[in-house]
Amino acid sequence: MSLLDISELTLDLPNGTRLLDGISLSVDAGETVGLVGESGSGKSLTARSVLGLTPDGARLGGRVELDGREVIGASAAGILDLRRHAASMIFQDPRAGINPMRTLGDHMTETLRLCEGRSKADATARAAELLASVQLPRPEEHLKQYPHEFSGGMLQRVMIAGALTSSPKLLICDEPTTALDVTTQAEIIRVLIEQRSSRGMGMLFITHDLNLAASICDRVVVMSAGRVEETGDARRVFSAPQGEYTKRLVAATPTIAAATGATGVDVIDVRAVPSIETERSDAEPMLAANGISKTYHLRGKTEVNAVVDASISIARGGALAVVGESGSGKSTLARMIVGLEQADAGDIRIAGRERTEIPRGRAARLAHARSVQMVFQDPYLSLDPRMTAGRSIEDALRLHTKLSTSDARARVLALLEQVGLGEKHAQARPRTLSGGQRQRVAIARALAIDPDVLVMDEATSALDVSVQAQVLDVLAEIRRERGLTVLFISHDLAVVRRVCEETVVMRRGRIVERGRTAALLAAPEHPYTQLLIDSVPRPDWAVDPVADQKSA
Amino acid sequence: MALDSSTVAVAAQNAAAANPRFGGRFTAAGLRRVAGKLGSLVLTLFLASLLVFFSRFLVPGDPVTFLLRGRKPSPEAIAQVTEQYGLDLPPWQQYLNWLVGAVQGDFGRSLQYRQDVSTVLGERLPVTLMLVVMAGLLIAIVGLSAGIVAALNRGKALDRFTLIGLTMLSAVPSFVGSIVLIAIFAVQLGWFPTFGSGEGFGDMVYHLVLPSIALAIVFVVLVGKVTRSSMVEQLDREHVEVAISRGLKRGTVIRRHVFRNALGPILTVSGILVAGLLVASTIVEAAFGLAGMGSLLVQSVDRLDFPVVQAIVMFVVTAFVVVNAIIDIAEPWIDPRSAAGAAAR
Repeated sequence: MSLLDISELTLDLPNGTRLLDGISLSVDAGETVGLVGESGSGKSLTARSVLGLTPDGARLGGRVELDGREVIGASAAGILDLRRHAASMIFQDPRAGINPMRTLGDHMTETLRLCEGRSKADATARAAELLASVQLPRPEEHLKQYPHEFSGGMLQRVMIAGALTSSPKLLICDEPTTALDVTTQAEIIRVLIEQRSSRGMGMLFITHDLNLAASICDRVVVMSAGRVEETGDARRVFSAPQGEYTKRLVAATPTIAAATGATGVDVIDVRAVPSIETERSDAEPMLAANGISKTYHLRGKTEVNAVVDASISIARGGALAVVGESGSGKSTLARMIVGLEQADAGDIRIAGRERTEIPRGRAARLAHARSVQMVFQDPYLSLDPRMTAGRSIEDALRLHTKLSTSDARARVLALLEQVGLGEKHAQARPRTLSGGQRQRVAIARALAIDPDVLVMDEATSALDVSVQAQVLDVLAEIRRERGLTVLFISHDLAVVRRVCEETVVMRRGRIVERGRTAALLAAPEHPYTQLLIDSVPRPDWAVDPVADQKSA
Repeated sequence: MALDSSTVAVAAQNAAAANPRFGGRFTAAGLRRVAGKLGSLVLTLFLASLLVFFSRFLVPGDPVTFLLRGRKPSPEAIAQVTEQYGLDLPPWQQYLNWLVGAVQGDFGRSLQYRQDVSTVLGERLPVTLMLVVMAGLLIAIVGLSAGIVAALNRGKALDRFTLIGLTMLSAVPSFVGSIVLIAIFAVQLGWFPTFGSGEGFGDMVYHLVLPSIALAIVFVVLVGKVTRSSMVEQLDREHVEVAISRGLKRGTVIRRHVFRNALGPILTVSGILVAGLLVASTIVEAAFGLAGMGSLLVQSVDRLDFPVVQAIVMFVVTAFVVVNAIIDIAEPWIDPRSAAGAAAR
């Protein structure tokens, strides 16, 4: 009998909305099952129902059997017992998931002390042992530390160790690496795999990242809109998807590997982009930043060199990617170029004009804004919730141009059309739009005044893969039509590969490597670039792209 | 300047990883923080003393005329009184004399009682302190329970009922509350005395039951609402769900993760309440005929007894500033992140 057996699980909210519709899946001991889907597909809810963590008043149907015991309709004591002994869960964001006001030692020992009744010393010894097993360097000291003293990757290890305190038979991982950098993700996955095999646990692994699922799962269950779309052997599902939805999902997933046709990813043909061949000519680059630096001085702390002597240039119509992990200074670089932050040293020129200083006064701000516009990471935060999408764009036009109301409205519609939206979206307020639609509105707003340079700071990171693919398509389309110059900040090498001809890699404020994207990914020279590329998850049956390129 | 928070946060964590006691409580940085708080406490008190002392010169009316009330003052008498109270000195010297005395607990002589201010205050203070302490206990018990009950039943009938009840109470001014309480519990039912503060500890507590309820009403509402919203905010946090998923009992989760984390805002509001309680006690003391500091203040303002007014105002200011400084200094124990600065949040 399986460790976890879910059959025909349904979940209805009190208002009648059906969130889960006939979910069936099973996990055996020692097996890893991936639960894959986009946001809102019900994958998290399915996993939470295993531990009885369903919304108040939700009605459940079907069966959920964990370790031979029925979860649905179990008594409160029965549920507590399942949570304490049968299964435990690792959550997405370790910074949100560990109480910031208590020590890590408290997090590690509280279940041992309060549920198992172990003595403090006994619990502490066990906690230190577990922290050591997830490769934290100083377990004894860590027990006295607070979460804010830890990086995300270290905290996620604590979270894993915390989930293992109960020696669970099933480990449920809900997007455990989504909030982490790619190199950290690789380390965490290594820890998880290690623990799974040494303990013989079953694992239910929720992710939106197909490459990640393919790299660690034996079987996958693809979910969409509360239903199971496809179930099967991981390799079979990804290499020969059968459902329509799965096919689309696989096609939309960018890969770091060169497009060999296996995944059907559409890489932009760089030659199709106009004027890209002129980049080696003598013409002045559209954006040139020379030796810019930024240091933050914090009272009572060592200073932070956010950006050190960075130089970049983008030819007219070119697209440059800045990649790096969190804290590498890539966002600070973008903020200096957009004029939100003053560089300590160096100079920035956009379209031949000096743009180093933070603009002072209205005229200078408007001029700076006309030369460079930014699209931010989170479209939920960057649009005013009380303004219609059309009004947001119109405001930008009115600020910078002297268009009449009717001309401005017409221009708004033209812009929305360009990003694949229509008149009905112009009337909509942001909350009625989906994430992808919002980000397209944000792009349309940035393009409204024809900036010389568009800066996109992680502009697709918060989006689902299929939505990300749409937004990237829109971007490619606009570049093809207008020859827009783009500075693309991202941590995602696969996305960068689709969008940009050239890439610079940043680490701790310094640019460590630069070059044409394809060449850089195929033959990285700096060890850090190599590490970044190696850390990107890929199916274990896939060919190593680097080796592949070298042998070709 | 808007700091690029992620970059700074990462740097802070790298530093923390390198040095595990970074941002700890008993470090040099921690001591500097406490010293800074104490420094700003002293500065606040100094500025308040300036304001309190010199505001006398803005108030119409001459204390000398008051002192010699009822008589036809001869120039000699005026000169004698002026000299006796040091009113002939330049203002800054009067201030210095007053300040030096005040620091030693000597606020001069009351004009109306012809006694030392400290003696006059010493008689009145116990009643007011007792009243404030009893009201404070009531506020803590009733306010916290109402807030917790409402938060745990969020969106349900009990929550709505509690909120409506609190809102209605908040519309009851303390003088109305006092009169209603006297009318029902003292006059009709005869359970409590209507007047005075009693003799001895037990009797005093008995006498102060109604006044402390009247004083507490408005503040119970404040604490209740802050408790509710702070708890509700914490209930939605992911770490609470994590705690539940680990098989902890609901009560344990509420106590260790929800209430514990909700404490910060509750304490901040409580600190601000201290001044309000001391000031509002004036009205309640008047309504219940208590010989406390509040009624003394009203009376002294009325009779231009400025040494007493100054002493009472300084006392209220000091109580307020000291309580809030204590809460500030205790903050790292409530929320360890605050010692490390906002960047690491």
